[in-house]
Parts: sequence; C-alpha cells; structure tokens
Amino acid sequence: MRTLGLLTSVVILVGAAGCGGGFSDDKGAAGDSTGEVRMLVNITPNLTKSYWEGLIKPFEDANPGVDVKIEAPTGSGVKDTLPQLLAAGNAPDVVETLMADKVLAPQMLDLTDQAWTKDTPLVEQASLDGKVYTVGVGQQAQSLVFYNKDAFTKAGISAPPKDLDELTAAMGKLKAAGYLPLQTAGDYVTGLQLLQLSDPSIATKYPDWYQQISSKQAKVGETMLPLLERYQSWIKNGYVDKNALGLKDVGAQTNFLSGKAGMYIMGSWFVRTADDAKPKFDLGVFAAPTEAGQPSPGPQGVTMAAPYMVLKSTKQRDLSIKLVQWLVTDKTAVQSQLAQDGNFRKGYTDNLSPLGKQVQDILDQAPKQVAQGEGYGANTLPQGFNGEWNKAVQSLYTGKSAKDVATRIDSWMGSKS
Amino acid sequence: MRARLTTLSMVGPALVLFVVMLVVPVCLSLYLSLTDWDGYSANPAFVGLKNYVSLTHSAEAIRAGWVTLLIAAVGTVLLSVFGLGFALLVNGASRLNAFFRIVLFYPHVLSALVVGFLWSAVLGTSGVVNGWLTSKGAEVLPFLSDPKWALVSLIAVLVWAGFGVNVVLYLAGLQTVSKDLLESARIDGASKRQTFFNVTLPALAPVVTVNLVLSLVTLLKTYDLVVSLTGGGPAGSTQTAAYLILWDSFHNNALGFGSAQSVVLMVITAGLALTVARLRASADRGVQG
Repeated sequence: MRTLGLLTSVVILVGAAGCGGGFSDDKGAAGDSTGEVRMLVNITPNLTKSYWEGLIKPFEDANPGVDVKIEAPTGSGVKDTLPQLLAAGNAPDVVETLMADKVLAPQMLDLTDQAWTKDTPLVEQASLDGKVYTVGVGQQAQSLVFYNKDAFTKAGISAPPKDLDELTAAMGKLKAAGYLPLQTAGDYVTGLQLLQLSDPSIATKYPDWYQQISSKQAKVGETMLPLLERYQSWIKNGYVDKNALGLKDVGAQTNFLSGKAGMYIMGSWFVRTADDAKPKFDLGVFAAPTEAGQPSPGPQGVTMAAPYMVLKSTKQRDLSIKLVQWLVTDKTAVQSQLAQDGNFRKGYTDNLSPLGKQVQDILDQAPKQVAQGEGYGANTLPQGFNGEWNKAVQSLYTGKSAKDVATRIDSWMGSKS
Repeated sequence: MRARLTTLSMVGPALVLFVVMLVVPVCLSLYLSLTDWDGYSANPAFVGLKNYVSLTHSAEAIRAGWVTLLIAAVGTVLLSVFGLGFALLVNGASRLNAFFRIVLFYPHVLSALVVGFLWSAVLGTSGVVNGWLTSKGAEVLPFLSDPKWALVSLIAVLVWAGFGVNVVLYLAGLQTVSKDLLESARIDGASKRQTFFNVTLPALAPVVTVNLVLSLVTLLKTYDLVVSLTGGGPAGSTQTAAYLILWDSFHNNALGFGSAQSVVLMVITAGLALTVARLRASADRGVQG
C-alpha cells in the first residue's frame, strides 16, 4: 500500500511539473542564424495551412537553413490553443491573430526598439503602456454598411444615409419597397453589428470612451442606451427580421447577397465574400452613419489585420523577429495577406476590387480611427465583453427592453472591476 | 513479496495511466478552481473559495446549471423511452430488422458538430423547413430563434443523435429475457401489455439503469451540439454548463472560475449517477427480499 502511495505521489508531481513547465520569464534567447521557427496561425477557409506555407516560402528561400513551421490551432482557435501550448511547455515562437492586452503582454517580447515597427498600421493604437508588442499587416474596417444600390433606387433613396435618423427613414422606405431593410443573424453577428454601427457616434460623443469606462466616469449601458432604444424600435417596426437569431452568419450573408435585404453591416473582410459571390445587384458600401447632428463620416472603428507577436519564451528571438518584420513589411507578403483576407493598408490599392476601393476611400476619409468592442492596447474593455454584449443585444429580440439591456451590461461590467 | 511484485507488474501500467490521465487532471482542476488564473500568467494567484462564492452569485452560471439539468432530465427520459420503443420494434432476427437497426444507430455515428450543422440547416430561419413554410405563404417557425423553441429543438436533436446507443443496449437486454417466462405468460393468457410490464420490463431493469446513468452523464456534458446548433443562443438561453465552462475559461480567460464550474459539474454528475445506481440496487434488494 505504501509503495502504491509513493508511486501515486511521484506520478502526480511529475505530471504537475510537466504542466507547469511552459512558463518562462526569460527574454528570449537570440538563437542561431538558422533553425526552426514555429508560428501558430489562424486557419480559416481563406487562410488555409497551404496558404500560410506558400506565404512564408520566399522567406525560407531567402534564408537558407531556416525552417518556418506553420502550426494550426489544436483547439477551436488560436485564443484557446495558446494557453494550452504554454501550459504544456510547448509554446510557439510567433503567434498570429491575437493582440497584446494586459493578460497577454507579459508573455510577449517587447518590440519597441525595433525601428521598422513604426511604419506598420495601427502600431501606436495597439501599444500598451507605450510599448509595442503587436505589429500587423493592415487594417480591418469595422464601421461599414454594405447596401443594395438597386434596392435603394427602387425604394426612392437617392443617397446613402449620413445619420441614424436618415438610416431609420431609409429602412422604412426599403420595407415599403418589399425588402428586409437590415440583414442580421445570430451567433456573434447581432452584437457585432450594433457595435460597428455605434463606433462613429460613441467616438464623437465620448472621444476618450474607453478611458471614461475604465475610470468609471461613464457606463457602457448608459452611453449605449440611445442606440439600444433605436435598435429596439427597428425590431418592433420589422426593420430587422425578428427570427434572425436562428440564422448563422453564412446564412445572413447569403440572404443579403441574394438581394432579399437592403443593408448588411459588417467588417471589411466581407468584401472578399461579396466579390467572390458576384451578386446580381449593384453592391455598394458607406460609412456607418453618426447620430443626428454629428459630422459625417465619423471616426471609423478599425482593428489590426493579421497581427503578429513574438513570445518571450522563444529560443529563436532574432529569427522570429526577422520573420515578423518580413511578414509585415515585405511588399509581396503584405499584398498577399491583404488580398487573402479582405484587409486594407494605405498605399496598397493596386489590386483592390471596386468594392474594396470604396472601403479604402472610407478609411482614407475617416477623421479618426478608433478601437472597437473589447478593443486593444490602452483602449481595452474586460475580456468577454463582446460575448456578453452580444447576448445582451440578442435579449432585445426576446422581449427585454433597451433599459434592461443597458442595466445588464453595466452590471456585468461592474462584476469585472 | 513475489506475489506482490507480480500483482504490481500486472496492475502497474493501468495504475500509471489511471493516475496520469485521471487523477492528475482532477487534482489540477481542483487546484486551479482555488486560483485566479488567466491561462497565461506563470503563477496562478491562490484565492481560496472565491470562485465558488462567485459561482453562487452568477446568474448566468445558475441559469446554465438549470438548463443543463433540464436537458439531462428530459433527455434521459426521452432517450430511454424512444430507445426501448425502437428496440422492441426491431427486435427479432430478419434482414429488414438488421437494416432498421443500422438506420437507427446511424445518427450516433455522426459527430455532434456535424449533427448540429445538419439540423441548423433544417431548422434555421432560412432552413429547409422554414423555406418550405414560407414558400407556402406560412409564417416562419422560430425553432432556433426563440429561447423556448431553441431549447426544445436542442433536446430533440440530442435525443435524435443519441438514442441509437440506447436501442443497442436494450436490444442486448431483450436477448436476456427468459423465453420460458415469456412462453409461460403467453400460455397463462397474459396480454402483450401485461407480458411487457410484468415480464420483459423487470428483466430489463439492469439495462434501464445502465442506460439512465449513461444518458444522464452524457447529457450533463452537452457541449458540441450547442456550439454547432444554437451557439448557446438566442441571448444565452441554450448555454449549458459545459458550454459556459469552455466560454469562461477560454473566451473570458477565467480558467480559475471555469475550473470551479467544472468541479461543481463533476460533483453533481457523480452524485446523480451514484443516486440512480443506488436506487436501482435498493430496488433489486427489495425484489429479492
């Protein structure tokens, strides 16, 4: 029995030691000029493993003896795979998709002293306490309303709405013309769309919204209440389908691209889908309208496209930094990543489709670019905000009032402080 | 001494696997449930029972708990009823029955994720059923867009996907029913109904217990079908405990809180499974006594 107890203890200790082995406090060893660099990347229908391997091949060719190993998430995504790899003591050298926040930053290499980072998109906005951990390839515009120009013409709408009153009026006309005014869906889409739509108004009304929320000078629910009330009125008037929550995002896109709906609020990644679908109607895009009385176009919600970070625990620091630098500055690599996932970057307009050019114009004309939802860098809300917001917005469809939703989100925010 | 070594050499490999694969994860989970850990930092901060106290105040976790218990209770009963019903229907050796058995077991072979996507394409707002209804000028049915309907749809699909196992187990159980007793009942003039309730069902009691425990444990862990069918929605109405554990752990980076939830779920699951097994044992003792 004693032997058994001893054996059990040894195994538990060995197991526990194994589980704790992944955390390293070192600053990353410089490593050799050749060797293997492991990169954990996001895999989607566009960003396949073979795409990633093709992307980094020129880098490998230019650096003989360097092998970049592309690793797909073993969990449902990079976000849940990275902690597992860290816990198993098997962390990659480079991670794509995630952005540094107060939780992630301590695990990542500080890239502030790398001069090349200065010219990468949104690098300042994504910095944390003045330090650069994340660098990206481009931008994803968030506050966009894609619209069916033919439906607008049939409904007698001569120009895209510039404020939310005009948007609401346009919805009424679209409904009268036999269209579903605004296409939405369940999943993450419901809450995301309202966030995307709210960015210009919130950023105009509260230029330092994230800071005010963090310091409790303002509350999310209270500041969003007018938008929630407006959204509730849209549900009530049938401007969005009351059964939309039973749709997946793909179903919503199909509905919109088949010409049934007048508008679809989505990020710039939708450009790629729309271009591939070749809809039978004339498709356009306009900047999300602001609240009445505010200048239009307003500040645009943007996020970093294809963000990269180097893990502090890397044993190949120099090679990893070299790879990330190449990924975000090499013209061919940047062009490829922008085209592959519908991303944008100033100066890279040669290969844009007509719809893509409209999005680039919106980005260029925006007076300011602001963080969105959970945010990034110094503009960050608690982890899980996007999911909680989504559920709260969906409850508008299930009978809750705008005030209930505002109270719910403020109560959740309170529980996270 | 030699006998001990022989025993140890025989049970050793299994013991090591048991400890490494089961005891260590459970111990780690228990430890993490007492910490505030984001999944990244090197040293999880020890917070004692704080996560368990938070759990009692979390409206979302409590609702997910009730949803899970409802799914487990209703689903277990339906799985047993349908499982036994179909088993009786296809009991007996014939080529047609062999075909029907394969058809009945087929849903269980599919991955739960695939089942979810399949049924969302059928029940969704733009799905097959609603597409047909709208083409006939009827209203869309909110299978997945209304909280109550979504829960009912989820349970229905869970039962559809899971009852194949129950059928197989009941079919195996039906082979053990004494043919002599069935023959005696027939000679004594018992009706089919009387024969079923007085001969067949009592003989199936151990299988019923196994099915109840298996179904209960499986349904309490419901996760992947939620992901692909409802995504926990609408408005979080179909979030199960397992779904919320994963959500809190990895989306919200609250692994300590997620671990506390998983410990509570583990205790409840074990408690319910043991209760069913003990009730069965006590009923058996009553019959024998």
